Amino acid sequence: MPNIIDTTEMVKKVLPIIYVLDTSGSMSGEKIAAVNEAMHETVDVLKDISEKNPDAQVKIAALAFSTGSRWITSENTLEDLEDFVWTDLVAGGTTDLGNAISELDKKLSRSELLKSEVGFCIPVILFLTDGHPTDSYINILKNANKNNTWFRHATKIGIAVGEDADQEALARVVGNSEAVISVHDNDTLKALIKVASITSSMVNSKSRTSSDTNNAVEIINQTMQMLPCKGVTLNKSSSSETKKTDNNSSDYTIIDLDESNW
Amino acid sequence: MTEFKPGDILKSIDGNNIKIIRFLASGGQGDVYEVEYKGERKALKWYRTFGTNKKKFYENLKNNISNGSPDKNFLWPEALTTTINNSFGYVMKLRPKEYHELSEFIIARGVKFPSFKAAIEVCLKITSAFRILHNKGYSNQDLNDGNFFINPDTGDVLICDNDNVAPNNTNMGIIGKPRYMAPEIVSGHNKVLPNTQSDRFSLAIILFIILCNNHPLEGKRWVSIPCMTPAFAEQIYGNNALFIYDENDRSNAPVDRLQPNVALRWKYMPDYIKDAFKKSFSREAILNPSKRLRETDWLKVLTRFESEIVKCDCGNEIFIHDASDTKCEKCGRIYNVKHKLKLPEYSLTIARGTWLYRCQLGSCNDTEALNPILHSVYVISNGKKVLCLKNEMGKELKAITTSGQVRMVKPNELVPVLTGIKFIVFDKEIKII
Ligand SMILES: Nc1ncnc2c1ncn2[C@@H]1O[C@H](COP(=O)(O)OP(=O)(O)O)[C@@H](O)[C@H]1O
Ligand SMILES: [Mg+2]
Ligand SMILES: [Zn+2]
Repeated sequence: MPNIIDTTEMVKKVLPIIYVLDTSGSMSGEKIAAVNEAMHETVDVLKDISEKNPDAQVKIAALAFSTGSRWITSENTLEDLEDFVWTDLVAGGTTDLGNAISELDKKLSRSELLKSEVGFCIPVILFLTDGHPTDSYINILKNANKNNTWFRHATKIGIAVGEDADQEALARVVGNSEAVISVHDNDTLKALIKVASITSSMVNSKSRTSSDTNNAVEIINQTMQMLPCKGVTLNKSSSSETKKTDNNSSDYTIIDLDESNW
Repeated sequence: MTEFKPGDILKSIDGNNIKIIRFLASGGQGDVYEVEYKGERKALKWYRTFGTNKKKFYENLKNNISNGSPDKNFLWPEALTTTINNSFGYVMKLRPKEYHELSEFIIARGVKFPSFKAAIEVCLKITSAFRILHNKGYSNQDLNDGNFFINPDTGDVLICDNDNVAPNNTNMGIIGKPRYMAPEIVSGHNKVLPNTQSDRFSLAIILFIILCNNHPLEGKRWVSIPCMTPAFAEQIYGNNALFIYDENDRSNAPVDRLQPNVALRWKYMPDYIKDAFKKSFSREAILNPSKRLRETDWLKVLTRFESEIVKCDCGNEIFIHDASDTKCEKCGRIYNVKHKLKLPEYSLTIARGTWLYRCQLGSCNDTEALNPILHSVYVISNGKKVLCLKNEMGKELKAITTSGQVRMVKPNELVPVLTGIKFIVFDKEIKII
């Protein structure tokens, strides 16, 4: 009989949490400072949660977009939180959201960012912006949704910072206006990034109810419950166009089960 | 981020103070605090969400409180709070610090079972608790790895998170945790609700995990799934689920390199344990909830398993097969089985600390399954260590001596282990051979 003391950890699927962060000029100053501070704390908390989580191993990636976009984290693998340190972002430039989406389309692939022996949980992508896209993103978004199975299925959440954020664009990107949260002050922004990350990291460990809809809405609901509620509003501008767009999963059930599409 | 700070005082609906001592942890449905209630340290669970119907949830909780805990091992709701800001909570016993969550054993950093015997004891305690719960007409409906606080040294288990427990076939909106839900729930797309039968599937998953530290449905097929979308999850955990040791279809066999725990252990499991799992996760039991093992079926095989593990002088655990001499895997010594008890269905090795329970004698009443019959102990008699069987029945036991005389053995009386002695229990004859 083997010795039970030699038990090793049960193998877990990897849960990617990908941050797509606006670092345009309008973010400079307190906003980007709040994001950086929040990310420092978030990385520590996620490391702890991931270690204790029996259902998923959390790994992260971060893409900053301003004039063009660039990976803050490694370009060809997700970051293990074990030995990861957040490097502060500096803001400046335009708001090339389309460029960021096209970068995601390129890298969300099993030969790029998403390499693993055991496979993944549905990735969570958090989009954060305080402005309007300065490049044309709509066709790029359509293509990403059409061609990239990972992007299409990802749990996408939008964080709209301040009055000037283009909520409509965010809703379009995340495919669901109910998956966008607006935040109006920096303290709440900090708390929101942290709490949304925590709830994202535990989305697979939560008991389901018979009225659950989709992961993004569940994460948002739980995030809202855990936040001190001032300064943050749920996006209610549910125009029928953006309420649920391209990635209504039932359209894709068949290709979903073809492993070669991933 | 938390609702209350240390020193805040809440009221229970019957007017007692609940004083917040400190925040403990967050769960999916709410936050848990250490509190002082009626002069004792307790835990308070404070809700953020309530399944699908708050009023029904509240009423069910209230009912459970007035019905009382089914058994001492449940951290059962004891008192409800009054409503504040549209929410409420309940008070329960606090987990003592020697107890660890099952998830800590799964991640296996630091917290581990000291022995297989202890792990089996935990399986027995869990199964027994659910037998009692089900017998009282309740079902848990959200049985998962977050339900257990375990003391690895004693094998004692406390069942927590009992707020979704409801009369069987009444649902509070919660349908279960991914990876632990029964196939019909996973494939039921929110239309099939959990009940006692689905609890039984989840229970088998938990038992498999405790013994093998691997999920019973996660093998090669699971590993090869690139992304666990609901559609893929349905293939692994729904009506198409395939046991990693399914005999007819090996396409979901464990991947030894990635899943060393189960790969190492399964081959050592006795056949009756393997069979119990094969049956629990067979196509038949996956598709037909009434074909699942009942708690008593588990108690029967688990008690047998527990009594067939002995400790070698080198400290290693040995599984004794068919009560015959067995070689220690570690030091090579042969463990001599000197005496065994011939039971109606199998022979049981008598070693130090062997227990014989009612369910090992054949079919019995659910509530009697774990009633102890005999327990082996060493006593010193005339300066010599003598192995004896102690009557644990709490009433007289009929024994027949080697010379054929009938002797009534009083409760707690000892009978030396000698070949030929027989006992007559529940009309069954068992014999020391
Ligand atoms: N009685 C208790 N004593 C101490 N800690 C507890 C107790 N009950 C729950 N906890 C802690 O709180 C956490 C969340 O509780 P749980 O009931 O599982 O929440 P949920 O069902 O909302 O997920 C548990 O993981 C545990 O760490
Ligand atoms: Mg729970
Ligand atoms: Zn040995």
